[in-house]
Amino acid sequence: MKTILPVLAVLCMGTVALAGPPERYLHVKVDDPAGREHVRVNIPLSLAEKVLPAINQGQLRDGKVDIGDFHANGVDLKMLFEAVKSAPDGEFVTVQEPDTDVRVAKSNGKMIVHVIDKEGKEKVDVTIPWEVAQALASSGDKQLNVEAAIQALERAGDTTLVTVTDNSQTVRVWIDSRNTSD
Amino acid sequence: MLLLGKIGLGFLGTALVAGAVVSSEGFIHVKVHEKQTNGTYISLVVPAMIVPVTLKFVPNHYLADASTNVRRYLPVIDAAISGLADCPDGTLVEVTDGDQHASVVKSGGSIVVDVDDPDETVHVSVPLHATQSAIDEIASAGGGPI
Repeated sequence: MKTILPVLAVLCMGTVALAGPPERYLHVKVDDPAGREHVRVNIPLSLAEKVLPAINQGQLRDGKVDIGDFHANGVDLKMLFEAVKSAPDGEFVTVQEPDTDVRVAKSNGKMIVHVIDKEGKEKVDVTIPWEVAQALASSGDKQLNVEAAIQALERAGDTTLVTVTDNSQTVRVWIDSRNTSD
Repeated sequence: MLLLGKIGLGFLGTALVAGAVVSSEGFIHVKVHEKQTNGTYISLVVPAMIVPVTLKFVPNHYLADASTNVRRYLPVIDAAISGLADCPDGTLVEVTDGDQHASVVKSGGSIVVDVDDPDETVHVSVPLHATQSAIDEIASAGGGPI
């Protein structure tokens, strides 16, 4: 009995070690209570990671989105992200207009964008972990590396990426290790 | 008597092996239930292996257009099926619109689509492995390298 227990313990630890990290999911939840419309999407990130490089359509090629028309005016996006990453937390951009408020900030290793459209009564919150933002910009200033961003998302902790709220609908996009939205 | 027993055992063995081969790729299940009085109720369970085997007997010219269309998206389809096969079971998509409800679920190596509306309920379950075999069969019907 005394020899069996340590063997079982080692076997259990080995099984846990071999099990690997749990599957990560990208969730999208759309609720329109007035129209009684509800949408739930739960995509395993491993599935997105496999399918994305296979899509070669339009501006999406080999897991990267071509943004050729985007003019960075000679700004090295990689360097810019590095600089902002090492900068202390704080608010970088605040734009207040009669109909729109925009705020871009860095907080706890995440890039946060808040947009409030006062006319459309719409509120958008985007939170992107820095590692994901950096991965997205890792292919230079003419492409967004979506595949690398998904890989970075797999390593990121549970987080809400996007919430959109307007008069009738709420949209939430987040990642976690659960295979259901509720 | 002993010979008859041997023959019977041979038949039984053959039937068992044939059954195992036919069901090796799982089963396609289609269920349609029209909710109105005297509405149709269909429940069809067929071995998934039948689909690619049947496609082998369809003359290629009938599948030429489908083959061209499938070949264009073959890398994406292959990646999606392989990715789905590897990912854990769970609900992928669920849509509720008033009294209509639809869901796409990955369950035990199959993709299960359920639709429920006031008029009818539809349930379709297709094994991923059979889908891959059928797609490959359609793609190869166009001739030439895939």
